[in-house]
Amino acid sequence: MSKAFFGLPEEVIFCKRCVISNQRPSSTVEFKHKADEKKATIGFGEDGICDACKFQEIKESQIDWNSRDEALRELAAKHKRKDGGYDVIVPGSGGKDSVFTSHILKYKYGMNPLTVTWAPHKYTEIGWKNFENWIHVGGHDNILFTPNGILHRYLTQQAFLNLLHPFQPFIVGQRIIGPAMAAKFGVKLVMYGENQAEYGNNPDDNYIPTMDRKFFSVRDPEEMILGGKSIGEILGEKRFKLDDFAPYIPPSADFLVSKGVEVHYLGYYLRWDPQECYYYAVENAGFQANSERTEGTYSKYSSIDDRIDMFHYYTTLIKFGIGRATYDAAQEIRNGKITREEGVSLVKRYDQEFPMKYFKEFLEYIDITEQQFTETIDRFRSPNLWDKVGNEWRLKHTVWQQPSDTEWS
Amino acid sequence: MVMSRVRLIARLDIKGPNLIKGIHLEGLRVIGDPREFARLYYKQGIDEIVYMDVVASLYGRNSLHDIVRNTARDVFVPLTVGGGVRSVNDVRELLRSGADKVAINTAAIKNPELIREIAHVFGSQCLVLSIEAKRQGKGSWEAYADNGREKTGLDVIDWVRRGVTLGAGEIMITSVDQEGTCKGFDTELVRAVSDAASIPVIASGGMGKTEHLVDVIAHGHADAVSVASILHYKRTSVPEIRSAAIAAGIEMRNAP
Amino acid sequence: MSVEVVIIDYGIGNLFSVRRAFEHCGATVVVTSDLEKILAAQRLVLPGVGAFADGMRGLKERGLDKAIRSYADSGRPLMGICLGMQMLSSVSEEFGEHQGLRIIPGRVTSISGIDHQGKPYKVPHVGWADMQSKTYETAWKGTILDGLHPGDAVYLTHSFEVKPDNPPHLLAYCDYGGKEITAAISKENIYGVQFHPEKSGPVGLKIINNFINIRL
Repeated sequence: MSKAFFGLPEEVIFCKRCVISNQRPSSTVEFKHKADEKKATIGFGEDGICDACKFQEIKESQIDWNSRDEALRELAAKHKRKDGGYDVIVPGSGGKDSVFTSHILKYKYGMNPLTVTWAPHKYTEIGWKNFENWIHVGGHDNILFTPNGILHRYLTQQAFLNLLHPFQPFIVGQRIIGPAMAAKFGVKLVMYGENQAEYGNNPDDNYIPTMDRKFFSVRDPEEMILGGKSIGEILGEKRFKLDDFAPYIPPSADFLVSKGVEVHYLGYYLRWDPQECYYYAVENAGFQANSERTEGTYSKYSSIDDRIDMFHYYTTLIKFGIGRATYDAAQEIRNGKITREEGVSLVKRYDQEFPMKYFKEFLEYIDITEQQFTETIDRFRSPNLWDKVGNEWRLKHTVWQQPSDTEWS
Repeated sequence: MVMSRVRLIARLDIKGPNLIKGIHLEGLRVIGDPREFARLYYKQGIDEIVYMDVVASLYGRNSLHDIVRNTARDVFVPLTVGGGVRSVNDVRELLRSGADKVAINTAAIKNPELIREIAHVFGSQCLVLSIEAKRQGKGSWEAYADNGREKTGLDVIDWVRRGVTLGAGEIMITSVDQEGTCKGFDTELVRAVSDAASIPVIASGGMGKTEHLVDVIAHGHADAVSVASILHYKRTSVPEIRSAAIAAGIEMRNAP
Repeated sequence: MSVEVVIIDYGIGNLFSVRRAFEHCGATVVVTSDLEKILAAQRLVLPGVGAFADGMRGLKERGLDKAIRSYADSGRPLMGICLGMQMLSSVSEEFGEHQGLRIIPGRVTSISGIDHQGKPYKVPHVGWADMQSKTYETAWKGTILDGLHPGDAVYLTHSFEVKPDNPPHLLAYCDYGGKEITAAISKENIYGVQFHPEKSGPVGLKIINNFINIRL
């Protein structure tokens, strides 16, 4: 009888090269996401090395980046329009990744991108500044789509209470907007930045430049599950109409196919390095790192535009035992920016830090009390991960308590 | 204040065995072997070299002894070492390894008496108070610790005055806002610090071209200028900076 | 056969750098506080940084003050660096009045911090200054400054300077705040340098070289 929630692997092991654990969830088809579903998690090899690290090896030595670059040029040429219209949709919020993607496509590969933004719940000051610089310093056209706040907040609240996944509605919307806008504007190409497969989703996804269409197959909207409830259930509460859900209902795969829409990842064509994206964004589009460290990690340039974002990572810590610092450190270890030893020290110091700065705002945003917050998060602490010692919750397994492993040289 | 000769200082941020460089003290890129860079700058006539261990606070120790020892073998200009210096003993170890001066930041903020202790045992001349400053609004800056990661609530100018009283020998003032951008120093910051301190002030953070150096000396009243990105990324060289500065009327040691 | 240089270890000073610089110039270096070795040395170096009183105490505790005076009387070459130079003089004003080794008569006084126009300047004096002498052509020949010229820069960091009682003992000065500050003193084979030759690049190394190879 498994003690682990969500069908997580019972035993907790940490990658020998980076600091990620085998509890790391892979991406979910978000609008089929129910509370009791079994989560797919990152694969680990017999040698104790995670799939993301293995993919890094491939990235570094087995992929012919010249030919990928060629393929990108061909793609650009294929979609280039003679009538001055947009030829690629670049979804993003003005963070380092979308800035890099749109700017390099426009200025190096000669494309004509339209950037589209599914609005963050609440822009931080630095996030808004970077968003504006993206447009005004980087030089891009942008459409900012902001969903109805009443519904969005309700869904976020429900997602928090039922799934401990407050970011779910945001992720749904963000994934839809690129292809949806492409279809509306008669643009056939949507280009995202990094491929989540790099971080441990199905490695086979890394070889296919297009996104899996299973994300875009909804037959009956009322069956869609948002915030852990079906839309039908929510409609039953008589607060919202089906019309209100328009931004969350994806266009069907068939419709997209008929419009010729394809979704690609720039990370397939160019060797992705988040820190280099940061440098590029600073040097070309007025991007600025935050002046202060983000709570829960050591980094100042990663994912800094949404005040609610902190709680996405914090809930990840509760559910899977790994927090923001783990994600940042794992990525930087793989890209050779820090050693594993340093990553472990950073995780130890920052991973479990509570995001105090925007806590009150978060509670107000989703209209719950602090008590409800605490009760909810405690419900989601998987017994294979957490122990209660006196009044405190402690992680049973941490990366810094593991015996030292061989250094990856 | 009378201007004496301005010193040109190369600053090398070090992590483990590597010279690294960031922007806004973030996104640290590996550049190469610090000793090679130090040797090159020495040969080119740099006035002084600063080594900062940027992960020292994380590990709770300064780990530069080997690099320092190695550098001091054949680099015969003053060497200042900082990062994770917490005690009189840490200072002793670094000086023994070949450092001439020691820079402290976080430890001094946590325990200002440390400045007095170090000055008493080794003399003020070996103690550089390193301050990382972030602009708060007009004419006001907050001191940051831990390589630009943690706020302290300390007003920079107040802290400067206190540091001088406690016995610091020099102040190295780094602008977190300008650092790594190559867009110029925070001259207003340097000026405020220099006016408040009767000890030499080293301006750090933002050097992109000679005009910046001239500006921070003429208007910021800096006694020394610390340069990093443009040297490490080889956008210019020590002799180029020196001759351009002298041509612009700055008093500097002639090329040796 | 390389020249052996003894560097005095009395608990104070940047011994590593001084040692390395002399080794780099080809000397065999012995760092010691052993009285016999010091008395028997062919070349003796007295380094030091910090406060005068602490330095003198460090020497006295080890009986080194007598040994150094004895050595100085023998006529063999001696170099005092920074605080080492200051201790060669008679008396210092730093933190009260303190007696020095009295080897080159003079007084250690603080750098005033006010220039010739009455404006304040920074103390300690830190940085590179050009060595000057009005009589260098004759005065520097055969000394540790042999082959150097006014305008050659050296690295100083100090709040106090030595004013030798006898003008001929002033070997070189430098300009700070419009005033002349003593950079080097000498009396026969005894030298004092306020600057750090081990930190003054090629100019400093030349001075060290001169000292190692000085003609007796």
